[in-house]
Amino acid sequence: MDYSPELDHALKTLRQITGLTMDVKADTLEEEEQALRQIQCLCSAYQEKYNKTHFLQGLITGTIASYDILERAPRLHITKDEKRVLFLLKTRGTLDEAVPEILKNLFPARTKSYLVPLTECSIVILRPMKSCETEEDIVKIAHTIVDTLNMEALASVQVAFSSGFDTLAECSAAYKSAYLALKVGNLFYSEQTVFPYNRLGVGRLIYQLPVSLCEGFLHEVFGDEIPDALDEETNSTVTRFLQNNLNIAETSRQLHMHRNTLIYRLEQVEKQTGLDLRNFEDAMTFKIASMVMNYLQTERNS
Amino acid sequence: MASLSLKGIEKVYPNGFHAVKDFNLDIDDKEFIIFVGPSGCGKSTTLRMIAGLEDISGGVLEIDGKKMNDVEPKDRDIAMVFQNYALYPHMTVYDNMAFGLKLRKVPKDEIDKKVREAARILDLEKLLDRKPKALSGGQRQRVAMGRAIVRNPKVFLMDEPLSNLDAKLRVQMRIEISKLHENLGATIIYVTHDQTEAMTLGTRIVVMKDGVVQQVDTPQNLYNTPCNLFVAGFIGSPQMNFMDAVVKVSGTDVTLTVGQHVLKVPASKKQALINGGYDGKTVVLGIRPEDVHDSQAFISNSPDSVIKSKIKVYELLGAEVFLYFDVEGTQMTARVNPRTTLRTGDDAVFALDMEKIHIFDKETELTITN
Repeated sequence: MDYSPELDHALKTLRQITGLTMDVKADTLEEEEQALRQIQCLCSAYQEKYNKTHFLQGLITGTIASYDILERAPRLHITKDEKRVLFLLKTRGTLDEAVPEILKNLFPARTKSYLVPLTECSIVILRPMKSCETEEDIVKIAHTIVDTLNMEALASVQVAFSSGFDTLAECSAAYKSAYLALKVGNLFYSEQTVFPYNRLGVGRLIYQLPVSLCEGFLHEVFGDEIPDALDEETNSTVTRFLQNNLNIAETSRQLHMHRNTLIYRLEQVEKQTGLDLRNFEDAMTFKIASMVMNYLQTERNS
Repeated sequence: MASLSLKGIEKVYPNGFHAVKDFNLDIDDKEFIIFVGPSGCGKSTTLRMIAGLEDISGGVLEIDGKKMNDVEPKDRDIAMVFQNYALYPHMTVYDNMAFGLKLRKVPKDEIDKKVREAARILDLEKLLDRKPKALSGGQRQRVAMGRAIVRNPKVFLMDEPLSNLDAKLRVQMRIEISKLHENLGATIIYVTHDQTEAMTLGTRIVVMKDGVVQQVDTPQNLYNTPCNLFVAGFIGSPQMNFMDAVVKVSGTDVTLTVGQHVLKVPASKKQALINGGYDGKTVVLGIRPEDVHDSQAFISNSPDSVIKSKIKVYELLGAEVFLYFDVEGTQMTARVNPRTTLRTGDDAVFALDMEKIHIFDKETELTITN
């Protein structure tokens, strides 16, 4: 029998998710539309009740009520109370079909990890955390995901992850934190590929500030002449100096630079900005100000 | 296999961070090229741009003469081995190696041929039925290599593949990779921050700092004729000794004064100082630890290059001894024969092999004499 494309699609979906094959006898257009609605209702009712992915998608996006979680999770054999971590994986383009396949094999079903496709370029991995696992282990897993997908699928990916959480009801909050980590990570640490929610540092604070407040802060630090950006050489020198806890000897060693050259460069920064980076408070102000400058520049560029 | 050309490659991230600047390099077919430099110098970023995992902000990347800037990674005919590889825990070694090809729907008999050939090259034939948990660290690493080899790519890209292995295994795997390069005749680009790895594996080494290529040369040339202070300090362990020295030209004689020590510059080095107008200027004098001698015979033959100091630390490493001492406030290291009688606290006399010294411009940090 010839059906309208919508009805044909609905019947195929029904067969795909339930295994049921159905014929529709409709004499009028009205009857056909009614049949279509009923089949669609059947599909969504079935998915709501039996489809794990559908349930987890709802859980992650926060569209399932907490009483529903308690009822549906056991039916789908998903443990309600278990320490888990949520990885949010984003590919540069559309998700290659090899990516979920590789992830399925990296996190086999018996490990009680769940892969939940979200959009055409993002996927969530819900993974149980062992009691002995530390955040360092999770960072390593995230790097392993990135490197394995780079190597096997030749796919460019970034991974953000939430803190550990104990119940399924916290899934939505965990997703939001991983999503925020991805966003803030891209803004402030875009050269990296792994973004732990717990290590966003000042970046998270700055991201949540209104632009006007950021501009006001820069005026306060630099006066009317806000530098667009420091030259690259100075920038990398200062970054390394801050990373080394303002230690001149260590920084000059790492940069293979004479200590006097380093001191000269720091003095140039002081001349330019009025901030003596050898002083902790000035160094802290400088660090925050340079992050704010980068943030505003990225916002302007986007 | 393939040749690569990187012309004026740049990488600028959206947050303004300029990770790679004007990177130019031609890589010949079958070369083993090493990118080396301190962390954050842009070596991995460059590799990832070659792989297509990062967008190229500027410049042109060519593989076998074809522009690759906008070609998808999977269409570049490359294979990668990275630091944090994972083997599929429930699959055998065979399946781990075959998995990538299965995903690409390569016919079964072809997969079998490629996997067995890779296993033969990597000496994994007897382990094909084992699961990853039954393998040692080195064997796992070889499986990861096998997954790259079965692709039969034009170029292998390796990013610190040995970093997660312990020191002993790293040395073993270094030899394996070297053999692999010979057996496959492959073009390999290898990223490391470990200069020993760089010196032992590479046919040519690219030294990078702050996103800029400092020098591209053979390991021997990098060691003997570094182009600037950074390369001189980065290549070699223990690193080259550096001291500030004042140049004095008197007629045809040129001397370097380091505090109270006056060192006579040999004929082979002095012309560059005279021609460069360095008379009266401060330069940086560099000398490798093995060119600082404590033997009486050498000291007697080199009266114009003698320095005196007190030994701060004596370090016996079996086949050699490192002596640490200060000269005019700068710490120096001498690598000497273990039969030396010098010990911590002793007053010592050393002579520098002035034919082996390096002199750098203090401002530009570029070499004057190489």
